[in-house]
Amino acid sequence: MSIKNEVKRTYGPALRLAIVSMLLCGLVFPLLVTGFAQVLLHDQANGSIAHLNGSNGRSVGSYLIAQNFSSPFFFHSRNATLSASGVDPDITLQDALSQIRRISAVTNITRSDLSSLVSQNIERTSLFFGDGYVNVLRLNLALIHNFQTTYCSTPPLSYCE
Amino acid sequence: MTSKPNRPTSPRFRSSLTSTKTLLDSLVRLNPLSLLSNPVMFIVELTFFIVAAMAIYPPAFYPVANSSMRIYYVEVSLILLITAWFSTLADALAETQAKNTASSLRSLESEVQSKKIVTEADVRRIVTTPSTALRKGDLILLEKNDVVPIDAEVLEGIGMVDESLLTGESTPVRKAPGDEVIGGSRVISDTLTARVTVNPEDTYISEMIRLVESSKRPRTPNEVAVTTVLIGLTAIFTIIVVALLGLSVTLDLAVDLSVLIALYVCLLPTTIGALLPSIGLSGVSRLYQRKIVAKSGRAVERAGDTDVIILDKTGTITVGNRQAVEFIPVSSHTEKEVGEAAFLSSWHDDTPEGRSLIRLAYEDGFVPRELNALGVSEVYEFSASTRTSGVKISQGTGFMLPKGDKSGRERGRLRRKFEAHQEAGSIIGEDEIEIIKGAPDAIKKIARSIPSNFDALVDEISSQGDTPLAVTRNREVIGVIRLKDVLKPGIREKILSVKVMGIRPVMLTGDQPLTAKSIASEVGIDEYRPEAKPEDKYDIVTREQAETRVVAMIGDGTNDAPALAVADVGLAMNSGTQAAKEAANMVDLESNPAKIIEVVMLGKQLLMTRGAVTTFSIANDVAKYFAIVPVMFATTHPELKALNILGLGLNTAVLSALIFNAAIIPLLIPLAMKGIRFKPTSTMGLFIKNALIYGVGGIIVPFIGIKLIDIALLSIGG
Amino acid sequence: MGWREYFLSALIVNIFQMSLAFIIFVFQNILPLNPQGFPGLNLDLAFMQVISFATNTNLQHYNGEGVCNNPPDCYPLSSMPGLSYLSQMTAVQFLQFTSAATGLCVAVAMVRGFVSHSQNMGNFYTDFVRSLTRLFLPLCFVAALIFVGLGVPQTIGGYQTVTTVEGATQTILVGPVASLVSIMQIGTNGGGYYGANSAYPFQNPNPASDIFQILLMLLIPTSLCFVFGQLLGKRREARPIIIGAYSLFALDLLLAFIPTYGLGRGIEVRFGGFFSTFWTVVTTAVTTGSVNANLAGMNPLVILSAFMGMLIQSAPGGKGVGLMYMVMYVVITVFIVGLMSGRTPEYLGMKINARDVKFVMITFLVHPVIILVPTVLAYATGAASAVRVSTGSTGFTRIFYEFTSAAANNGSDFLGAAGNTPFFNISTALVMFIGRFAPIGLLLALAGSMINRKRSTEIGLRTDSITFTIVLVGSILLLVVLTFFPFLALGPILEFFQKRVNGF
Repeated sequence: MSIKNEVKRTYGPALRLAIVSMLLCGLVFPLLVTGFAQVLLHDQANGSIAHLNGSNGRSVGSYLIAQNFSSPFFFHSRNATLSASGVDPDITLQDALSQIRRISAVTNITRSDLSSLVSQNIERTSLFFGDGYVNVLRLNLALIHNFQTTYCSTPPLSYCE
Repeated sequence: MTSKPNRPTSPRFRSSLTSTKTLLDSLVRLNPLSLLSNPVMFIVELTFFIVAAMAIYPPAFYPVANSSMRIYYVEVSLILLITAWFSTLADALAETQAKNTASSLRSLESEVQSKKIVTEADVRRIVTTPSTALRKGDLILLEKNDVVPIDAEVLEGIGMVDESLLTGESTPVRKAPGDEVIGGSRVISDTLTARVTVNPEDTYISEMIRLVESSKRPRTPNEVAVTTVLIGLTAIFTIIVVALLGLSVTLDLAVDLSVLIALYVCLLPTTIGALLPSIGLSGVSRLYQRKIVAKSGRAVERAGDTDVIILDKTGTITVGNRQAVEFIPVSSHTEKEVGEAAFLSSWHDDTPEGRSLIRLAYEDGFVPRELNALGVSEVYEFSASTRTSGVKISQGTGFMLPKGDKSGRERGRLRRKFEAHQEAGSIIGEDEIEIIKGAPDAIKKIARSIPSNFDALVDEISSQGDTPLAVTRNREVIGVIRLKDVLKPGIREKILSVKVMGIRPVMLTGDQPLTAKSIASEVGIDEYRPEAKPEDKYDIVTREQAETRVVAMIGDGTNDAPALAVADVGLAMNSGTQAAKEAANMVDLESNPAKIIEVVMLGKQLLMTRGAVTTFSIANDVAKYFAIVPVMFATTHPELKALNILGLGLNTAVLSALIFNAAIIPLLIPLAMKGIRFKPTSTMGLFIKNALIYGVGGIIVPFIGIKLIDIALLSIGG
Repeated sequence: MGWREYFLSALIVNIFQMSLAFIIFVFQNILPLNPQGFPGLNLDLAFMQVISFATNTNLQHYNGEGVCNNPPDCYPLSSMPGLSYLSQMTAVQFLQFTSAATGLCVAVAMVRGFVSHSQNMGNFYTDFVRSLTRLFLPLCFVAALIFVGLGVPQTIGGYQTVTTVEGATQTILVGPVASLVSIMQIGTNGGGYYGANSAYPFQNPNPASDIFQILLMLLIPTSLCFVFGQLLGKRREARPIIIGAYSLFALDLLLAFIPTYGLGRGIEVRFGGFFSTFWTVVTTAVTTGSVNANLAGMNPLVILSAFMGMLIQSAPGGKGVGLMYMVMYVVITVFIVGLMSGRTPEYLGMKINARDVKFVMITFLVHPVIILVPTVLAYATGAASAVRVSTGSTGFTRIFYEFTSAAANNGSDFLGAAGNTPFFNISTALVMFIGRFAPIGLLLALAGSMINRKRSTEIGLRTDSITFTIVLVGSILLLVVLTFFPFLALGPILEFFQKRVNGF
C-alpha cells in the first residue's frame, strides 16, 4: 500500500481521536478536577486567600503570593527581582530576624516577643530539616493579630479593618 | 595457549614493506577519484587541497586566514597529505601481501600428467597433457595406477577406483559408465575412458584466488556497517566544524580556518578510515598463509560468529586410523593364538588398521608358522554389509614373508587376487583354516558359539573408548583385538580453547555409542553423535541453524556437500570431491580438518581487530578535543586556556594533535595486517580485555603521544 | 500495525490535535472562559506553541498569566501574551496529555519491535486511548487533588482583586493550575501555567509540592526502564538502561553540585539553593523543562549539567523518548565495541546490520543539525541581538540553550516571553518538530526491522552486564556530550572560567 493511501485511510479515525481526546483531556478532566477541588479543598483551590482577623475579616491577598510591605511596622518581603517568581512570599529566617530591631524600635514591641513570633512561624525547606524561612504575610498577620493594640490604634497604624 | 593466528611475519610481508612497486602504488592511490571509495580519507585529501590553497593565496580565505601564517599552512597541508598517504600505503601493503600469498597458493595446486584422448581422422591418439591444460569435455584415458587428473564422468569400462585419500573409505569403489570419478583418486584395476566435466580454472581454488586478486573486492556486511558509522561520524563532525566556522565569523572568535580543519581531521575517524580496507584484506591473507582459500571475506567473518563446530572424529580428533594395541584371548585360547590369527587375516589387508595389526603381532613375536607352510586359498574382502574380513588358508601352497619386511610394504606384489567371497558360511575343508575378524555384533552372527564373557569384554573395551575387533578361527571366537584411536597432537587443547570461547564442539563418528562417548570425554567434548552417517551432518547443521546457531563444519565427500552448502562456515578438504569443494565456502589445501578451529580463531581475530581499531580511533577524540579546543579560542577567550590540561604550546598544540593523528596510522598498520593477539577466553573476557586496551588505552595513549610530540616540537622550533 | 503505519497514525493524530489547539490559541479572544479578556495569539506564536506542547517540549514564549511579575525578564513588555482559561485547559493541558501519551505509545511500540516473536508494533489508536484512560488521566486526577491540597489553585472563577494589608491593590492570578501541574510533571512536559513556571508559588507552593513534583517527573521515565525489561521478558536487560540512565544522572548531579549554593539571585526562599539545583538537574535529565528557579541565576556548571541532560536525553530522559534514545545508544555501543568480543555484534540475540546502523547514525545526526544550524543563524541574521542577547559567553549560552532545549524537547529556556519574535518562534518550532518526530520515525523504523529477525539463543556480548553498562555510559559521554564540547566551551564552560576570574 502506498504511503498516500495509508495516510488517506488514517484521516477519519485520526480526526475523531483528536476531537475526543481534546474533549476528554482538555475539558472533562480539568473541569472534573475543578469540581472536586472546589468542593473538597475550597480554600486552596481558590488561591489560599488570607483574611484579616481570621476568616471573617477582609481578604488581604494570598498567603502564597508576596505583597509589598513598605511601612517600617512590618516585616518586608524580598525585593521582587531577586526571586525567580517575582512574588516570592517568603524570607529567610536571618532576613526576618534582622528586621526585628527596626520593628521593635517603631512599635515598642520587645525584641524577644518579636523573635518568638518569628520562631512560631518558621517553615523549613526540605520539609523538616533544611534552612528555616518564614512567610511574610503570615508573619505580619500574626503580628497584627498578636499586637492588636499596636496595629489597630490610630493612623497610621490602623490595619485591622 | 596463545592462539595460532599470530605467526611470525612472513618474509614476503617484510619485503613488501620496502618494495618500490608498493610505494608507487600507494602514491597512485592518492588520486582523489580512487579515494572516493573511502569517504573519510577522501575528505582528508580535500582538506589538504583547501589548506594548500590557503598557503598559496591566503587573501582568498579572509577573514579566517592570515598571510603571516603561510608557513604554518604549508606544514598543516603537508601533514594532511601524509595522513592520506599513510592510508593508501596501508591499502597498498595489504593488497601486495594478499596477492603474494594468493600466488604462492597457486603453486600448491597439484598438477598431474593426464592421458588425453585425441581423435584425429577417426584415429584415437593418446597425448600426455598436464591436468591444468584439460578442458571440459575432453576425453581422458585412465589406466591402472593412474591418478584421476580432474573430475570426469566414466564413458567406457568398469574398474575399481581407490578414493580413500578423498573419502577415507578404504574399500575401492566400482566405477561403471555414467559414474563420476573424482580428481585425486587412483585407479587400481582395469582401464576406463572418461569425459572431463569441469575446466581446471573453474575449480574452486582458482576461482577464489582470482577473487582476491581482483581489486574490486566486495565489502562484507560488517565492513559496510562500520563504514556507515564512519560516514555518520564524518557527517556529524562536518556539521560541527561548519557551525564553528559560522560562529567564528558571527561571534568574532578569530579562529583560523586551518585550525578548524585540523580539529576536523583530528576528530574524523581517520585511523579506522585508513585501516578498514587493509584489515579485511589482511584477514583473508592470514587465511591464505595457512593454506586455506576462502570464497569471500564474508565467510571469514562468519567464522568468528561460530556457535557450534561439527567435528568428524576421524581425521580431526584422531589421526584417522585405529591402531591395534592388545590381543585378548577368550575361553581357553591364548594371546598367541589370537595374535597369529590376526596376523594371518590381516596379511592381505592394506589398510593402516590392518598394518597396525601385523605390526603388533610381529612385535609380540606372534608370527604364525603357517605363514611359510600354508597357502592362501581365499581372501574375504571387507564389505560394509558383512563388516567382516578374513582369509581361508589351505595347506601346501605357501608363500614367503620377505626378509626385513615388517610393515608389509611389499606384500602387495606377492598378493594373489581372489574373487571375494563375502557371504558367511562358506564351506571349510579339512585342511583349511578360516579366519574372520570383524565387528563383534557381525561376528556373533557367523560364529558357532559365543563365549560367555564375550559381551562383557566387548563392552569393556568399547567403554574405554577403544574399538573391539573379534577374531574367529573356523567360526569359533578365539579372542578380541583392542583397537585404539590415536588422538591428534594438541587436539585436546584446541577443543578446550574452542569451548572457552563459548563455542560448542559436536563430534560425529561412525563408532558405536560407548566408543564415541569415551573419545569425546577424553578430548573434552560433551556432545557427540555416534553411529553417524555422512548424511546426518545435514540434519545436524539444519537443526542447529533452526535454533539460530551459526554452524561451522568440515567435509570432503560428496555426501558432505549438502551440509557444507547450508553450513555457515563450510571448510572442504582439497583432497575431497569437487562437489564438496563447490558447496563449501573455504578449502584447506593441506586437507587438515583440524584447521576448522584455526578458521574460527581467524574469524574472531578479524572482527576483533576491526572493532579494536574502530574503538581506538573514536576514543582518541577525547584527547584531541582537549588539545585543540583550548588553544582554538585562545585569541579572544584566553580564559579557556584553563582547559589546556596537557599544557601544550599555544602554537604547537594543533600541529601536535595533527601529527599524532597521522602517525598513529602507520604505527597501527602492523596491527591491522597481523591482527590483534588474543588468548582464547570467553566472549566477555575478550571484550573486557580489548575494551581496556583499545577503549581505555585509546583515551589515554593520545594524551601521552600528543604531549610527547608537543615537547619535541617545542624543543625544535621553540 | 507495521512501524510505518504506526508512525503515520501517531503523526497524523498529532497534527490534527495541533490544529485544534492552534484554533483555540488564535481565537481565544472570542471563545468562552476568557474572563481576563486576553487577545488571540499571533499566528507565529500560536504555531510555535502548538508544536511546542505537542512535541512534549513546552518551550514557552509567553507568560501564561499575562502579567509581568519580573520586569527584567519580561522584555519586550509591549507583547506579553496571556492565555485564557480555555487555552490553558483545552489547548495546553490537552496537548500535554496527548504528547505524553504519544511518547509512551511510540516507546512501547519500539520495544515491541525488540520483543521476540512479535508480529507487529501494536495499534496506535488502542495504545493511545489506553495510555490516557488507564494511566495518565487517573494518575493525574489523584495528583491534581494532592496538589490542590498543597495549595495549588484549581478554579475557573477568574482573577481576584484584593486590597493588601498596606492598602494597595493586588490581583491574585488563580486558574485551573493543579490539573495542569499534574500532567506537566507526570508527562514530563514542563510547560507551566505561569511564566515563572514552578518557581511561581501557585504552581509550587512549598517544599512538599516541590519534592512531589520532582518525584512525578521521575516516575514514568524510570518506570519505563523496568517496563522495557518486563515487555522483553528479560528483566536483566533493563539493567544497563536503568543503571546507565541513573549513572549519567549521577554525573549530572555531581557536576551541578561542584560549587556550593547559597540563596542567590533567582532562587526562591522556600526551595533554597539545594532544591533549585537538584530540580534543574532533574528537569533536564528527564527533559521535562519545568523550572523552580531562574536559570540566569544559576552557576554555569549547573547550566553545563543541564546541557548534558538535554544532549543525552536518556538520563533517564522524557517518558518514552528517553527509553528509545537509550535503546539506540545501546544498539550503537553494541555495534562499535561489540566487535571487540570477536563476534558480529548482537543485541537481544539479533545481529546488528548496516541498515540498523544507518538509522541510528541518522538519528545521531539530527541533534547537531537542528541545534547548531539555527544557533549560527540566530547570530548571522541578527535575531539574537534583536532580543538583546550578547555575543559573549552568557549570550551564547542563552541561544545555544534555546535550541538545545527545543531539539531535546526539554522546554526550559532563558528567553521565555522575550523569545516571542518571528525568528525564534518559527526556528524553534521547526527544531522541536524535527527533534521530536525524526528520531521517533527513525527509531520506529529501526525497531520495525527487528520484527521477525533471527535471534540467536547463544550469549555473546552480555548487554546486561555491569561492564557493558560502564562502556555504554562512556560511549554516550563520548559520542553525545563530547561532540558538543567546542560549543559548551564557548558557552557555560567559558562563562564559568570568566566568572571564576571576575566573580560570580
